Amino acid sequence: MSMFPSISIAGTGLEVDQTWIDAIGGNVANAEDAVTPGQPVYRDEEIVAEAAPSGSNPVGDGVEAKGVALGSAQGVLTYAPDSPLANAKGYVTYPDVNIGHEMTSLVEAQVSYEVNAKVMQNSTDAYNAILQIKA
Amino acid sequence: MADAIEAVNVLTFALDAIQQRQQLIANNIANENTPDYQAKVVDFETSLANAVANGGTASATVTPEGLPSGTDGNNVSLPAELALESQTNLENQSVADSLNAQFAMLSSAVS
Repeated sequence: MSMFPSISIAGTGLEVDQTWIDAIGGNVANAEDAVTPGQPVYRDEEIVAEAAPSGSNPVGDGVEAKGVALGSAQGVLTYAPDSPLANAKGYVTYPDVNIGHEMTSLVEAQVSYEVNAKVMQNSTDAYNAILQIKA
Repeated sequence: MADAIEAVNVLTFALDAIQQRQQLIANNIANENTPDYQAKVVDFETSLANAVANGGTASATVTPEGLPSGTDGNNVSLPAELALESQTNLENQSVADSLNAQFAMLSSAVS
């Protein structure tokens, strides 16, 4: 536990949000990575958060990224007979990335980042008020 | 003089409890997107008022907030946490100011 725990707790929130935003960036960048059916396709990455273990401390110690939930390994079959990647039946495999979902997640992650940054600022102000106490 | 020392003790307890509340708010906000996370609150005012009125020891307790959960099992309400955070920051400031005032009185009494 740090000397100014509220600041480090908000910091764990910022870290998870950053990881989340990075994953969204990867998903969006790879959303159009078509492959021939049967070839390995990019898998959507969703960050799963969990409360950081805090032992006997009832208050908690922030949040951490527990892992990555991967999307479908099969991807999504799309009929595109003109594509050079199409199989004999005219199908191409795209990653199972939903751009609408990625965009809403991005907004959520950005709001979360802003709020955690705000908490960090406010906690600093609060600790400063305490540091001003003098006998 | 004894009154001032008593006031310092009460304010110090309140400052500790307010710190704990701030940490908990930071923790609730950091876990805003954590599946199955349940928001918690710190209560100390009742216990402190009771201890001041009747003697005894005050304590701060952490309990679940108990709001309904969303589809991911998380029940953190961002607006509620932000409102509580602003309020707690002001309480923190006023308790810190009161402690300063008590210390100023004490030091003028001893000099």
